Amino acid sequence: MRRLTLSISVLALVVAACTQAADQTTTTAAGGQPSGQGLLATVQDRGTLLCGVNDAVPGFGFRNPDGTFSGFDIDYCKAVAAAVLGDADAVEYVPLTAQQRFTALQSGEIDVLIRNTTWTASRDGGEGATFLHTTFYDGQGMMVRADSGITTIEELEGSAICVLSGTTTELNLATRMAGIDYTPLTFEDNETLQSAFVAGQCEGWTSDKSQLAGVRSNFPEAEGGPESLVILEETFSKEPLGPVVRDGDSQWAQVVDWVVLATIQAEEFGITSQNIDTFADTDDNAIRRFLGLEITDDEGNTTVFDPGLGLPTDFASRVIRAVGNYAEIYDRNVGPNTPLGLERGLNALWTDGGLLYAPPYR
Amino acid sequence: MTARPPLWRDLRVIRAAAQVAALVAVGLLLYVLWFNLTNNLRRLGITTGFDFLDLPSGVNVADNPISPGAPLRRTLLVGIKNTFALVVVGIPLLTVIGVLVGVARLSTNWLVAKAAAIYVETLRNIPPLLVIFFVFFAVILQLPPPRTPLVFGGLVVSNLRITVPWVETGPGADLYGWALVGGLLVAGGVAWWRTRVYERTGRPHHRVLWAISILGVVAVAGWFLLDGPIRPSLPVVDGQRVSGGFSGLGAYYAMLSALVLYTASHVAEIVRGSILAVPKGQTEAALALALSPFQRLRHVILPQAMRIAIPPIISQYLNYTKNTSLGIAVGYAEITLIVFQAIGNGRPAPQSILLLMGAYLVFSLTISALVNYLNRRLRYVTN
Repeated sequence: MRRLTLSISVLALVVAACTQAADQTTTTAAGGQPSGQGLLATVQDRGTLLCGVNDAVPGFGFRNPDGTFSGFDIDYCKAVAAAVLGDADAVEYVPLTAQQRFTALQSGEIDVLIRNTTWTASRDGGEGATFLHTTFYDGQGMMVRADSGITTIEELEGSAICVLSGTTTELNLATRMAGIDYTPLTFEDNETLQSAFVAGQCEGWTSDKSQLAGVRSNFPEAEGGPESLVILEETFSKEPLGPVVRDGDSQWAQVVDWVVLATIQAEEFGITSQNIDTFADTDDNAIRRFLGLEITDDEGNTTVFDPGLGLPTDFASRVIRAVGNYAEIYDRNVGPNTPLGLERGLNALWTDGGLLYAPPYR
Repeated sequence: MTARPPLWRDLRVIRAAAQVAALVAVGLLLYVLWFNLTNNLRRLGITTGFDFLDLPSGVNVADNPISPGAPLRRTLLVGIKNTFALVVVGIPLLTVIGVLVGVARLSTNWLVAKAAAIYVETLRNIPPLLVIFFVFFAVILQLPPPRTPLVFGGLVVSNLRITVPWVETGPGADLYGWALVGGLLVAGGVAWWRTRVYERTGRPHHRVLWAISILGVVAVAGWFLLDGPIRPSLPVVDGQRVSGGFSGLGAYYAMLSALVLYTASHVAEIVRGSILAVPKGQTEAALALALSPFQRLRHVILPQAMRIAIPPIISQYLNYTKNTSLGIAVGYAEITLIVFQAIGNGRPAPQSILLLMGAYLVFSLTISALVNYLNRRLRYVTN
């Protein structure tokens, strides 16, 4: 009898396990490509974009006290919604932890993941994810208290370092600290990590430098404010951050990719949300193509350029009107005049010595 | 000869058929779920095997020398070890506290009874995660940082780790260990012999005294003969590091104390209920024999009450074990944290979660098997 009860309970457990796992995958089937329909059409039918975001990194993805979201990544969610749905506010933000994000993407819980996610080969290959054009070129750094007098990572020998669990940051830290004795304290969310750091449990806090700058800018005055923290000089990893979509829907991937590229191209053309109306009668056909304006050929026929991305021909102007070009998004959220105060650096246009380069729009 | 009813009305046939049908239905369900899972995983290009366990984990674990190059399965074992560290220390602790508080709630001393009642009612009605957060944020993090640890009486306390005096082993420690085991066996044998003598002759057995003296002689003589194989080791502060002594991370102590206090409140209620379930006549009989209150509890009430209490207490042990998975909330590297970390670092989630469930299943079944064994041994022998 006892044995029977045991085997039944084991069986029940396996059933429960499978149901859970299957739950996820059935949602994939439902949320992903129902009956061969692409995600683009699904999103347009639904009328809202499900955007997986961060809610705890000021400047990138942050939930304000009033419940709204703001930040660099949030603006890209808005840009995609503006391009696909014509309404930058038709976004449902899904806050995710670092550990949840890929499962949420795989299971179809979100349409696109824009959550300071680093593009790596194994994620591209193993997570069923497609990484799109990088929106922010970042690198990992280390933040310490100014009064600790620490200036190099080697000086952290023997102390504890706080790091978010399940991130590339954690892997880079282990690589960087090879041969240095330290105690990694891994936390699941930024709030607990910050409490531990404030309490002095850990001497160093490692993350992408942009995130550290965000946290530093928002550091409570009661704990000494931003001036009490120093981000060390050294950058010890490449962290290209950008949107991620599910594998297997190249149309949707193109759509999100070209929304990002449009913001970059707009900056290259010098088109901003403020001056876009002045381009209505421009003679530059490259700009007319880009903004979806009518082009008159030598025989007097007017056409509107449609590259066949599945997007409305005027998607770029919708995006620019909604969130502005790359420079505007950058300056509004993380630029030198924000609390984060990040210089453009690698994130400048290629014409200014940076890495931003959009393929020709023709 | 009685005529058999037709097949479709034969109760035995109907029963057998129903069981077969149920089995087939469950089998089909499992097959459909499994097919759906593997199919979807394959479509997304996610691996369906367990080969990922042999790849390096890439991470360090706090207070463990395991290297980032070690295969993931070894890192998972470190997580299991950390979970185990909470379980083996926590279960005896929560049992003792639970029994004490349970008895205290029935005390005739007003203050003791009320204090126990407040403890039980407060902790029993708060979710364990909140208790853990409270202990971590309001107690552990409020300790001084490791830069300026608190040092008193051989104790080094910071919010990163708490170090207590411990022992260090020198040459001959193994031999000394075996000597102690031998001493223990001899002591047990002598105790058994004294019991036999007592049963035959009725002379006082003094078996505890005998056993302790034998063990004491072995311990002291061995220590001098082997020139001090184990010595006390006091923690020494060295910058941010503490050498010597026995160290535990702040998160470990937060988890341990929060979960022990929480689970003990449930155990206390079980103990109280079980004591109340012992018939009143037993107390009165003990009173009639002029037993002291302690003797009454020790020899009459508790032995009967604990027999009632053991099954529900087992389920509290299991709850405790499962609640250790909340360690992820305060950064204690138990098995759940290690598995979630691996998932975050690109390991396939379904297989990893399956492994995690398997680990807790093994933990729970082991604990209930052990305590069930104890339960059988302690049952009334009626012959």
